[in-house]
Amino acid sequence: MATYDLTPRIAPNLDRHLVFPLLEFLQEQQMYPDEEILKAKIELLNKTNMVDYAMDIHKSLYRTEDVPQDMIERRVEVVARLKSLEESAAPLVAFLQNPSAVQELRADKQYNLQMLNDRYQIGPDQIEALYQYAKFQFECGNYSGAADYLYQYRALCTNSERSLSALWGKLAAEVLMQNWVVAVEELNRLKEIIDSKSFSSPLNQVQSRIWLMHWSLFIFFNHDNDKTQIIDLFNQDKYLNAIQTSAPHLLRYLATAFIINKRRRSQFKDFIRVIQQEQHSYKDPITEFLACVFVNYDFDGAQKKMKECEEVEDGNGSTMPLRDEFLKNARLFILETYCRIHQRIDMGVLAGKLNMDYEDAERWIVKRIRNSELDAKIDTETGTVIMEPNHPNVYEQLIEHTKSLSGRTYKLASQLMEQSPAQAAR
Amino acid sequence: MASKFWTQAGASDSDEEEEQSEYEDEIEDAGGDPSAADAKNRYLRATDTDSDDDDGQKRVVKSAKDKRFDEMTSTLEQIKNAMKINDWVSLLESFDKINKQLEKVMRVTEAVKVPNLYIKSLVMLEDFLNQAMANKEAKKKMSTSNAKALNSMKQKLKKNNKQYEELINKYREKPESEEEADDDEDEDADDDESDTFAEDVNAMSDEDEEEDDGKDDDQAEGEGGWEKMMSKKEKLMDKQFMKDPSEISWDVVNKKFKEVVAARGRKGTGRFEQVEQLTFLTKVAKTPAQKLEILFSVVSAQFDVNPGLNGHMPINVWKKCVVNMLVILDIVFQHRNIVVDDMVEPEENETQKGADHEGPVRVWGNLVAFLERIDVEFFKSLQSTDPHTREYVDRLQDEPMFLVLAQNVQEYLERGGDYKAAAKVALRRVELVYYKPQEVYDAMRKLSEQTEGGDNGDDKAEESRGPPAFVVVPEVVARKPTFPESSRTMMDMLVSLIYKHGDDRTKARAMLCDIYHHALLDEFSIARDLLLMSHLQDNIQHLDISTQILFNRAMAQLGLCAFRVGLITEGHGCLSELYSGGRVKELLAQGVSQSRYHEKTPEQERLERRRQMPYHMHINLELLEAVHLICAMLLEVPNMAANTHDSRRRLISKTFRRLLDISERQTFTGPPENVRDHVMAATRALTKGDFTKSFEVIQSLDIWRLLKNKEGVLEMLKSKIKEEALRTYLLTYSLSYNSMSLEQLMNMFDLSRAQTHSVVSKMMINEELYASWDQPTECVVFNDVEYSRLQGLAFQLTEKLSVLAESNERAMESGGGGGMDLPMRRREGQDYANAGGGGGKWQDNYNQQGGRQGGGGGRSGGYGGGGRSGQGGGRGGYNRGSQVRGGGSRYQDSSAYGGARRTASSAVRGSQMDGSTRMVSLNRGGHP
Repeated sequence: MATYDLTPRIAPNLDRHLVFPLLEFLQEQQMYPDEEILKAKIELLNKTNMVDYAMDIHKSLYRTEDVPQDMIERRVEVVARLKSLEESAAPLVAFLQNPSAVQELRADKQYNLQMLNDRYQIGPDQIEALYQYAKFQFECGNYSGAADYLYQYRALCTNSERSLSALWGKLAAEVLMQNWVVAVEELNRLKEIIDSKSFSSPLNQVQSRIWLMHWSLFIFFNHDNDKTQIIDLFNQDKYLNAIQTSAPHLLRYLATAFIINKRRRSQFKDFIRVIQQEQHSYKDPITEFLACVFVNYDFDGAQKKMKECEEVEDGNGSTMPLRDEFLKNARLFILETYCRIHQRIDMGVLAGKLNMDYEDAERWIVKRIRNSELDAKIDTETGTVIMEPNHPNVYEQLIEHTKSLSGRTYKLASQLMEQSPAQAAR
Repeated sequence: MASKFWTQAGASDSDEEEEQSEYEDEIEDAGGDPSAADAKNRYLRATDTDSDDDDGQKRVVKSAKDKRFDEMTSTLEQIKNAMKINDWVSLLESFDKINKQLEKVMRVTEAVKVPNLYIKSLVMLEDFLNQAMANKEAKKKMSTSNAKALNSMKQKLKKNNKQYEELINKYREKPESEEEADDDEDEDADDDESDTFAEDVNAMSDEDEEEDDGKDDDQAEGEGGWEKMMSKKEKLMDKQFMKDPSEISWDVVNKKFKEVVAARGRKGTGRFEQVEQLTFLTKVAKTPAQKLEILFSVVSAQFDVNPGLNGHMPINVWKKCVVNMLVILDIVFQHRNIVVDDMVEPEENETQKGADHEGPVRVWGNLVAFLERIDVEFFKSLQSTDPHTREYVDRLQDEPMFLVLAQNVQEYLERGGDYKAAAKVALRRVELVYYKPQEVYDAMRKLSEQTEGGDNGDDKAEESRGPPAFVVVPEVVARKPTFPESSRTMMDMLVSLIYKHGDDRTKARAMLCDIYHHALLDEFSIARDLLLMSHLQDNIQHLDISTQILFNRAMAQLGLCAFRVGLITEGHGCLSELYSGGRVKELLAQGVSQSRYHEKTPEQERLERRRQMPYHMHINLELLEAVHLICAMLLEVPNMAANTHDSRRRLISKTFRRLLDISERQTFTGPPENVRDHVMAATRALTKGDFTKSFEVIQSLDIWRLLKNKEGVLEMLKSKIKEEALRTYLLTYSLSYNSMSLEQLMNMFDLSRAQTHSVVSKMMINEELYASWDQPTECVVFNDVEYSRLQGLAFQLTEKLSVLAESNERAMESGGGGGMDLPMRRREGQDYANAGGGGGKWQDNYNQQGGRQGGGGGRSGGYGGGGRSGQGGGRGGYNRGSQVRGGGSRYQDSSAYGGARRTASSAVRGSQMDGSTRMVSLNRGGHP
């Protein structure tokens, strides 16, 4: 089970704080020994300011009441720093907590800065202090506070670099507070900036995209109705490129999303190709499953892979809730493809392929046929399913082909019309 | 010539001691000057033996002494000429003449002694006479007048020689010292000490000019002169020993150095001599900086040795050059305060600052340029050596020598923080390593470890012959290259540096080498990703030709690699471009291919020859051709079977089809001889479904021994052939069957159940085969889909309509300029379709369109459509012939090789399309 665990590959692309939920999950799953996880947690916490928490973990890990000296020292340091930051950010924080004062702020950033400077003596230094303060709050684990401050900071900040990192901070805070709706908004905002901003280097941009995708995993697999969004995000050319170059393990999530959303057939074919291409650099049961079904038409293999997929899903924090849906759809995938190339199938074999017993399989197939999802009949005498031969009608085909033509011609004509007045004006 | 103006002075032998004291006087008088003069004289003398013979016709103003003396010299020349043709009559005349001249000379110079020149001529004559007398037969053959002259000559000479017997004997004993004495006398004769230098300089330039004449007249003579000079030089060094080293100061060396450098490139400067002169100067240099400066000049002078662009530097000079470079590095490593720079002109006396000088010392020089030049020379020498000789192998063994140098230079540059230059050097190293498979690399590593010891010994021996240098440079830098265990690590190390710091061209080249090397190690996917990510395909035609060649080589290697790992379509994609023009040799710079339609100008030919790859870097062309044709065969045979009715429609490989046509047109087919015949024979067998024979024919090719894991590759090939045979069989004979059992197919083609099932299923899904499985009986049941004539025509009509619409769209696009919001992908698809040969592609377009625009629409039924709708329900065939390899297969070849990186996919596809324009055309770009 642990072999398919992606945590080590995902973690480097996450914020320290975002790794916590993952570790918590791993602890629950008992996939790794407790001690290791606790050690990993301390390791994580060492760089953050959540010293108290680290001390607790230390105590439970070594079962002692003693805490290493450096932790205590660090705690003192953190508290002192918090104080000083609090002080320097105090004027602005006070201002922001005063509702009537906040009323005075307008949409115009320049005006706001001017106003703050003139009337409250709040200059760039204080605003900068607010950022530092917010960051420190985040480091200490006070996510809601940090989110608020960062939001306000963004309203006042003029430095685009800073603004960007504030946005990242805000997103992380929202994710950690599980405010999915807000998080999605932040995510989209961030995505816009990443895509539009002329980054210093393309490498940087790719890296940002990869982070964004990793962070978004939390959102998409926990927020309702967002499984299609992950496809929208990941399957964009730029993002898919980033996945292929730097983070092929994300293919698993994309594959899962694709299996769950069968509406996305059109993009699915492209995706299968991507999986084929990336076989050398990344594979796990889920991508292998897809390869079996859609590349090699190896249904026995697919079945095996499906069992493995089950395990993988169990061990995967973010996709766990979708396990049943995933399996249902995977089964459908197999059946669909299997039926396409057969005209007569033994029910027993089919049941085996679907990981069901005979009765269930029959019931399941009857349901499909009744919902006219499957063009077939069951022959109980021989115990087989007989597919209706499917030859597309010649006339239908002809109509299909020509249908698009008129649309295209319309488009062409309208473009021509658009262009000719433009030219005339010139 | 200088000696000429010295010898006139006196004819007597003056003793050496006096001369020595003369020197000492001078030293006292003029400080450091004498040693410079000394050095100069030494060089002058170095040439005088042969220059004595030429005369100084160029001199315009001549003193009376000079004139006399010149006359004498010319007479001597005449004597020599006469001797050559055995003409005793004119010899006798000349002898009389020289005797008369002697009197005049004696009178003018008021000397007691007979000029050396005269004695020389006497000795010469005597020798010749004795020789002639001894040869009785020749004597008999002589004409009467000649014989008479000989006899009288004999008597006269005898009489004459008696007078000078003593001198002659002396001369015979040590002709050299005689000359030296001559030189010494010059100084003696020169009353005005201070004038000596000015005159010396004049003499120097005179010498240059005359030297030039000599050179022009006769190259061989120049060579001879050089050898003689060598021996002279050694002698002079002996002399140097006797001198007190402290007499030589920085100024002296500097002055001399400036002089020698000033002579560089001037007409008549002996190239070898200059090297020698400078090399000597390095030994007497006073400060490390000076030594460095002079060494730089030595290296440049060594580059000068080879005139013209076409020839290469003599190998021994090349080696010395490398050694010099290493010494340079020794110096700069040892004296960290010395800055090598080619941007600013250093101050006049910058190099005077000694080793203990605080602060930076600037020395002009460009290590990278030197290194690159050395590399170029190495490359050129390999180019022009016959690869089948021992010489070539020997030359190849010098490679580690260069590598160590490059390694050290790179280290130095990195230490100095000049990463840009370091990247350039790294590229040179990369280019020596990239084409080496691990075995060759290991061999080189071992070789470098073994040979280095011996080489060092040689160097030492050479060193010890000379006097100890003033600035002793310990060998600071490593003389042995250090190689990482695997070539891959070395490549990684170097290319990562280049990617970080190199400029565009360096990066592009490094990238190509990297790709090549990955391909060599069978890492196809990495190599492919690198290629696609770097977007090199887009802009390769804007780069210089040698980079384009490198690109072609990388592509060829990539194709071979794809084949080795069993990716047939990809392999074909990489190689088909190379073979589309039939100029593969030219594209890979592995030989000149004659073109029937295009005469090359000599200029172009020369340029092309200069671009040739040395033999050891070649990619085996037979292997390449075999791989290309086999890939084409595996793709084309089922394709032909599928499209029997309209074969013109879809060609995967035009080259292959053309060859097949040719071989089919032959009345008799003999047993296969070359690679092409073999593949054609295999194709014939495969078309009939006879996979065993097909494989046997291909296996019998002897190029397979070039592959590392021959068994694995052949095994792969066998299974591919089987699969394609199965496909071909099904496509060809499916019409004749109603059903076919899986068992039967398995046995027929010796394939496993899973494999057979997978292949057949794939064909069904891709709608190449109208059939379905009957699961309980494990049979393939073929469905007949036949269209009436009218229906077929209707399809053709729709097809044409869509082509029309397409061309409208394209016209709009090109005319209207932008504004089209057609999905990018579809446009590509159209381009592709178009390039593929005109019509017949509407289905694909439809698919693309459906895929992109329609999204899920229209097939929301998805499952309900009977399973088929999922993959484009409307795509049912209208005509089996053209349908069978529909979108699916095209997808494969357009995307399998490139589709992955979407952004790059268009590039790859594009490059597959119009190979002729994408592929580098060497002739067109022949004038860089």
